[in-house]
Amino acid sequence: MTPAFARRTGDTSGTISAEPGTTDLAAPAGATSAAGPGREQAPPSGTGAAVAPDAAVAPDAADGLDGLDGPTAIGGAPAAGRGRGRGRRIVVAALRAVAIRVASALAVMLGAATVAFAALALLPGDPVSRLLGPMTTASPAVREQIREDYGFDRPLVAQYGHYLGQLARGRLGESYQLQQPVSALLRDSLWPTAQLALAALAFALLVSTAIAVSTAGRRPWLRAAASLGEFTAVSVPPFWLGILLLTLLSFRFQIFPVAGANGSLALVLPALTLALPIIGVLSQVLREGLERALREPFVVTARARGLSQTAVRARHALRHAALPLVTLTGWLTGNLLGGAVPVESVFGRPGVGSLVLAAVQDGDMPVVMAVVVLSALVFVVLSTVVDLVYVVVDPRLRTAAGVV
Amino acid sequence: MHRVGPAFPPVVLALVAAVLALAGCGGGSAAPSSSTPISGGSLTYAIDTAPTCFDPHVSGQDITAEIDRNVFDSLVSVDAKAQFHPWLATSWEAAPDLTSYTFHLRHDVTFTDGEPFDAAAVKANFDHIVAPATKSRYAASLLGPYAGTELLDQYTVKVDFSRPFAPFLQAASTAYLGFYSPKALTANADKLCAGGPANVGSGPFIFKSYTKNQSVVLTRNPAYRWAPETARHDGPAYLDTLTFRILPEDSVRVGALSSGQVDVARALPPVNVPAVSKDGDLRVTRAAVPGSVYSIYLNTGLAPFDDPRVRSAVQLGINIDQDVKTVYFGQYQRAWSPISPSTPAYDTSLEKSWPYNPKRAGELLDEAGWTGRDGQGFRTRNGSRLTVVWPAPPREYVREQRDVLAQAIQQDLAKLGVEVTHPSLAIGEYTTQAYSGKFHMLDLAWARFDPDVLRLFFDSASGPPTGQNASFLRDADVDSWTAAGAASLDPAVRADAYGKVQHKVVDVAAVVPMYVETAIIGSSRRVRDLALDPNTWTLFHDAWLDRA
Repeated sequence: MTPAFARRTGDTSGTISAEPGTTDLAAPAGATSAAGPGREQAPPSGTGAAVAPDAAVAPDAADGLDGLDGPTAIGGAPAAGRGRGRGRRIVVAALRAVAIRVASALAVMLGAATVAFAALALLPGDPVSRLLGPMTTASPAVREQIREDYGFDRPLVAQYGHYLGQLARGRLGESYQLQQPVSALLRDSLWPTAQLALAALAFALLVSTAIAVSTAGRRPWLRAAASLGEFTAVSVPPFWLGILLLTLLSFRFQIFPVAGANGSLALVLPALTLALPIIGVLSQVLREGLERALREPFVVTARARGLSQTAVRARHALRHAALPLVTLTGWLTGNLLGGAVPVESVFGRPGVGSLVLAAVQDGDMPVVMAVVVLSALVFVVLSTVVDLVYVVVDPRLRTAAGVV
Repeated sequence: MHRVGPAFPPVVLALVAAVLALAGCGGGSAAPSSSTPISGGSLTYAIDTAPTCFDPHVSGQDITAEIDRNVFDSLVSVDAKAQFHPWLATSWEAAPDLTSYTFHLRHDVTFTDGEPFDAAAVKANFDHIVAPATKSRYAASLLGPYAGTELLDQYTVKVDFSRPFAPFLQAASTAYLGFYSPKALTANADKLCAGGPANVGSGPFIFKSYTKNQSVVLTRNPAYRWAPETARHDGPAYLDTLTFRILPEDSVRVGALSSGQVDVARALPPVNVPAVSKDGDLRVTRAAVPGSVYSIYLNTGLAPFDDPRVRSAVQLGINIDQDVKTVYFGQYQRAWSPISPSTPAYDTSLEKSWPYNPKRAGELLDEAGWTGRDGQGFRTRNGSRLTVVWPAPPREYVREQRDVLAQAIQQDLAKLGVEVTHPSLAIGEYTTQAYSGKFHMLDLAWARFDPDVLRLFFDSASGPPTGQNASFLRDADVDSWTAAGAASLDPAVRADAYGKVQHKVVDVAAVVPMYVETAIIGSSRRVRDLALDPNTWTLFHDAWLDRA
């Protein structure tokens, strides 16, 4: 997945540097939908980098742009007819795009499932011994029962086929160790992890935005101080950070409880632990983007219209800076999911992280495989959403893409 | 609370502390305390691992037994002197040849779902344990040569075995052979591992809920009237709620205890014990874990350990006293016997009988022909190096800094000229190769309040994977002694038989006992009458919280 994101980054920076084609379009689009003066509208200066988000949803915008595009187009077909033909083409192209999306999503899931299966099947040693661990007095009869119940006695290919067949029917199997359906285990674990991840994400976005807006292009010492903090946050292992935060804010000054793990107060420290390394990266990326955007000519124009420095940063430049952030979604998701493992363990929280940690240790293959497939699903869904978000955030991409 | 930032300079505090110490107050809680138990309140107990499975009939985990003890009752109870006392059984008789036991049950016991406890319930539970579908990993082995349960009348059962089986009473006292309501066994068969209200017993607490990897909540069973004779009181438990909070990180558990967020914490790391002991609000309880101590088993069947002189050299060439003291800050005692001092039939005459003796160890290796030295200082014989393999299990199985202890042992033996390789293996490879006798050394420990663990580790019929004979010892004397011990309830006969086993396996250097595992439990001084059973598992039936 990384190459795809890397490619997108390239695209994005390409658009930010404003191609001539989009430059021509953006100004009229802004002009036509100029419902009110000032707010969020790009000045009709022709500096395409000014984004016009109010230029609304794809089809209308495309039509509008299409119409405006008319005069410059070569050839003289009537505008309406051209619009209908193009509409049909758009639908076909959209369907094709959706089909490709679904197919590639399935391929990714199949790949993830296969890799997970292979990695666990290729582990050395007898699966029954692995499952029982070193300290057991399980009798040979019990060992045989386990072997038979979980199909270890069948050839690997048959096990793989059975596993895929079950997966295709949405059956995740039963945990070897916990003797419960994996789907029930996941259902119980998903929400606590989602709570933790969302809280961390919200926290990270808020804080990194605040840091970036307040430090971008300001005095060098302020920037340096922020950078130092960011690098520290990135390099500290979350495991250790969690213990540090607990020692200070729970054991010494008893603000956040660790014992009663319910309620929002108990969510603060884990979310903070998970968020800090992310803040370290996000605020750097945001500041970089902000500084680049602040060098664009539209900033001067906006300032000339009387907007304050902060207003320009918050309303105009930040949107540009946010684009690379969207690109980081994959990385971000990986961090939130992966970071949940040590955080849930340190804070003794339920969730997918602690579930999969225990499953890996106990050789509980169905749980491990289910979490891998689930993670692949999350990534596939998110990368689709990201592609959509690009178009929403950056209207210049709509013409470039033609369709979503 | 008492941990909030100091308002005085440390010097002043130190002076105050010194004065207090001289005055004999020692900073202890001066609050008035009650001596008669108070009913009510909730207690939180920080534990270090989450049970994988809550069904005591399936899981062999200590933590499962410790939690389940509060929910499930047993036929008999045992005291620290290995005397058995009535519990759900008012009396019992063993057949002279110990092939069957007849229990007379209490008539007034009901499970928390209203079902009565009777002979049929005993049969249903024991049959459940041995049923292949249960896939019991431990409890079934506690039933040993189980042949069936006969109902003599509604409140009398006879448990049969296919051969003499003395360890049964001890096994019957553990939570692993605790009793479910027969209705729960049939109706909730697929939910027992998951924990929760499906696990219905007759114990002093009711299993209310389990939040995975977070906490277990038990509530008082108000109808409880059948505490074991070993308990301090007979009625319901004093605590309203008992919460087990899962905190795997040592420092977090200690912090939660010292900041008063939990009342009791299990498995305190030795390094933290001095600080916790000094805290006037806390108390540290230590107890030697019974059963097989943490030992290194030497594979008697694999060269060069097929030569007893080489094994003896290794046994005498490890500076156990110093290694254990250094790694565990003096909190664990070194071991002299393969079983711990708190195990019945422990033989004290082994103590100090085989001290560290590197000189003698060197002589033994010379006698065995390992006289040469190679470039790295390791001994050689006919050009080949004296090297042995001791695999390390994966990290998640390494407890109590045994990896650090292993380094110290490696260094001791390197000084002697013995190379010990200590590769870390994946668990599947580790068990598979260990079972087939591919390694020279294996380190193991096994908690059980019965010297029958000696049979598990040294009987020639107890080979892996079912048994733990990691020394691959084949010794007719040892076999006959462990059999004799397992066929007698007479403490004198057992002490004699198991004493001989302990001496023999140390003499032939089949094992190097290292240290006595020690349960270290920290608790708030508010917590009163918290008891440990002989297995060193907490008992909360008598525990109560002082208002102070």
